Amino acid sequence: MNGLDKRARAAQGGGDPSGTGSSGVSSGVPSGVSSGVSSGVPSGASPGVSSVVSPGVSSGSSSGVASGADPVKALMLRHRELCERAVDPLEIAAGLEAHGVTDRTAARFRHRDVFSLAEEMYARAGRPDEEEGAAGPSTPAGPPPARWALRSLLPGALCVGAVAALRWTTGELRLVVAVLGLLAVVGAVRLALGRGPLSSEGRSVPGPHDWRTPPGARTWAYLLVGYALMGDGLLHTGLVGGPDDLPDGGQYGDWPVTLTPLLALGLSCVPAAWTAHLFRTGVGRKLAGSRGLEEFAATARPLLLGVVAVHLAAVSGLSVLCAVLLDEHSTPAATAALGALLLIARLLTVHGFTHAPGVVLRAVGWTEIASVCLVFAGRLPGCGVLAGPVETVVSVWGEHAVPLLACAAGALVLLVHACRRLALASAHAPAAPRPPSDR
Amino acid sequence: MLRVRIGLLTEGGYPYARGEARLWCDRLVRGLGQHEFRLYALSRDREQERAGWVDVPAQVTQVRTAPLWTAEVDGAWYGRRARRRFAEHYGDLAAGLCAGPAGAPGQGARSPQEADRFRSALYGLAELAREEGGMVAALRSEEAVRALERVCRAPGAPRAAREARVTDLLLVGAHLEQALRPLSLDWYAEGELGSVDLCHAAAGGLAALPGLLARHFHGVPLVVTEYGVPLRAHYLGSADAPPAVRALLAAFHGRLAAEVYRSAAMLTPGNTHVRRWQERCGADRSKVRTVYPGMSAARFAAAGERAGGRSGAAHMANGAHMADVADGAHVVHAADGGTGPGTLVWVGRIEPSKDLVTLLHAFAAVRQRVPGARLRIAGSAPDPEGAAYLLHCEELAGRLFQGDPPVEFVDMSGPAAPGLADVYARGAVIVLSSVVEGFPVSVVEAMFSGRATVSTDVGAVVEVVGGTGLVVPPRDPRALADACVALLRDPARRDRLGAAARARAMELFTVEQNVAAFHRIYLEVAGRCPARRIAEADAAEPRPFAVPAELRVAGAESVEVTR
Repeated sequence: MNGLDKRARAAQGGGDPSGTGSSGVSSGVPSGVSSGVSSGVPSGASPGVSSVVSPGVSSGSSSGVASGADPVKALMLRHRELCERAVDPLEIAAGLEAHGVTDRTAARFRHRDVFSLAEEMYARAGRPDEEEGAAGPSTPAGPPPARWALRSLLPGALCVGAVAALRWTTGELRLVVAVLGLLAVVGAVRLALGRGPLSSEGRSVPGPHDWRTPPGARTWAYLLVGYALMGDGLLHTGLVGGPDDLPDGGQYGDWPVTLTPLLALGLSCVPAAWTAHLFRTGVGRKLAGSRGLEEFAATARPLLLGVVAVHLAAVSGLSVLCAVLLDEHSTPAATAALGALLLIARLLTVHGFTHAPGVVLRAVGWTEIASVCLVFAGRLPGCGVLAGPVETVVSVWGEHAVPLLACAAGALVLLVHACRRLALASAHAPAAPRPPSDR
Repeated sequence: MLRVRIGLLTEGGYPYARGEARLWCDRLVRGLGQHEFRLYALSRDREQERAGWVDVPAQVTQVRTAPLWTAEVDGAWYGRRARRRFAEHYGDLAAGLCAGPAGAPGQGARSPQEADRFRSALYGLAELAREEGGMVAALRSEEAVRALERVCRAPGAPRAAREARVTDLLLVGAHLEQALRPLSLDWYAEGELGSVDLCHAAAGGLAALPGLLARHFHGVPLVVTEYGVPLRAHYLGSADAPPAVRALLAAFHGRLAAEVYRSAAMLTPGNTHVRRWQERCGADRSKVRTVYPGMSAARFAAAGERAGGRSGAAHMANGAHMADVADGAHVVHAADGGTGPGTLVWVGRIEPSKDLVTLLHAFAAVRQRVPGARLRIAGSAPDPEGAAYLLHCEELAGRLFQGDPPVEFVDMSGPAAPGLADVYARGAVIVLSSVVEGFPVSVVEAMFSGRATVSTDVGAVVEVVGGTGLVVPPRDPRALADACVALLRDPARRDRLGAAARARAMELFTVEQNVAAFHRIYLEVAGRCPARRIAEADAAEPRPFAVPAELRVAGAESVEVTR
């Protein structure tokens, strides 16, 4: 072998005078017992063919030097992928070392150390233009769709069950069924919101308790649903002088209960999860495709509006369907407005903006409570004027107008807010990666 | 004696029961009972925190921990001035990542102004976090993403950064937010890291970041020990990331490493391999001291003493006696005894990077020339990849050696596993066939046992072995076989090398030398930067000999500054 190799060997052998120098250690000819790692590629004959996984450093490189050809080029061919994707020479050095290249190996390429060898390789590597096709990493996939789809079906299914049970029972049993059904639906809703597209998993969101809904906002959301259930009946009864009794769960009693909105909203968990999923994947695509923040914002806003529109349509449809099935009189618009309000609030919450949804839900809730209270306050002597506005609204558009106006206004405000906030790229930041641990 | 207060900084290690390098830190702390240690530990994940701590000795007077894997927003939101300050510093930090040739932190490749820019931005952010809090929310804000976008689009940005998509920017931002979490800690007050004599970071990278800040705020000197190179780990760990992310993060870790190396009063790499990386990243040669990791030699005393005795006929009886004394009833049988053909032994964790395939091929060649030779592969395969590799190797051995197989696989993880010292003692030659290796533990253990070694030239092998074993190129079965045959055929040379190996290991790789080296380094560093100690001693009521006279001379100027 050549002198370089001898020197390298002498350096390795250290103080042992009778080292293995004579033993054909680096004969350049691939020995018959080629290591299994190099997968049968004749490394001496065509060093460039062998893959990065099997550099076969010793035999391939020494043959390159022996043949007088450009040895570094052979090495570069062997580590072509590494050279092409490296962002700096040190990355090549780290990669080479991970493949067993040492300073002694580098000496065979007439370099002082791995670093200078890597620098030559970095300088000589022709890096192709980044392929547009490699459009970033795939969007972070949550749990498989089947899982969250099932979860989002649960509230609707339980609602159907509870409503059916209410239809078939009477008296005290009915009360028990109502309470049990309510608890089951609440539990199912929490389950549906805990995972999947309606949750904040996989995100780093800039809020204090960033993974959960603030308790206040949750209470107000339930209150709004509760109003949809029996608020209209109470308002109507209040205006005509009642109620004289607690609601009995039926629609013809003294304080009628409208089950349509509850059923429609329960079923609308499915379109909500689906639209949230659409939004998430759409945003992921836009993030990977956009070259700038402005560009992203410009494409994210129509996406959000489209998603809300789809949800509005879905809830309206469900509401009409439920009304027909239950043979109730109900306004789909009010239910749809409430559905949209809840969806936008949820989207904002899972992206870490918990303040605005809380404020708006509270405002809408107080509006509805106040309208009922005003009606009853109007019965007091001399306070008839207090009930005036509500009476006017109800007489013109019916009692459904109160929640419709409140929820629509709230949804609109939140939508404007969401168009600003969710168009920020930082709202969609991924959770921080784990620090590298391979020391 | 001078009692030094040491702030020991770790990341994902001591005192967590499931941490890296915890054994080393534990030995260090226990070995230096005359000093006072305060632990500042960053935990790496939830599982690590759940697994709890190891017992800490009495010289550890305080343990503070903080998670690196999660961060709560503290509720502080910036006003206009603070926001402007943040934008300015974060912009500078980002600009420091994109300026100049991408990620070339080597000497001369980057202008000093850019290093200054990165440094002042880092410390500017640290000051902001200290005064106003709220750094986590700020680092996650749109402002931060916008700053990253600006520098990536600026002229002169590296090509990979110019290609960055919004996802890439977000990923970089998330990573930076995580890396800069130590800035938000409350460890830098006067009673905390502000009042230690020196900080000792048990690893580079993020573990050293609190040390950098303590130095910046209080002038506390910093000692950094690195047994691995965090920068290199980052390169290897981020191979799947998009180019823009890799470019920016490599630049960040490179700049951070350069700043750590620049600021440290002393750098103690664990081997020359690490030292080369440190010097490459701008470490000043004059403050680099290689301190080899210490390993417990006691387990191998019996085997080592016996091997030492065997090397000379005159000492034979003496050696055997010592072995019996040391090992009690457990008598170690030397498998070779100078007459049989001998056994090759491989010890380690079974995984593809150990290249057992080459070893098996080499052993086939050895068998042709030394017919009675045997091979023992003693190890465990804790992960599925290793188990699959073990299966592959066993199949290969079955194919290569039909009939009576001379290759024996010993599972070291089972309850019936033989003692490690016993395994080494039964080998004539210990073989290492890895293609990738850091500090070769099995080689050092073999050296403690007084065995001759044949190793591949990877990682720190050459400097560990010195002249006491044979070193061959990796992935070269023929060279490996030649070296093994040479040693198997020459028992006298084997014994000579074994004795030399044991002597070398006892000199360089014991726990005692490691602890003693750090003791000296602590005294030297604390003595070189004595300002605080003298100022405190003078302020308190006088205590005789509280401060050695040399310190007053050495630190005369800095005393004035401190006051």
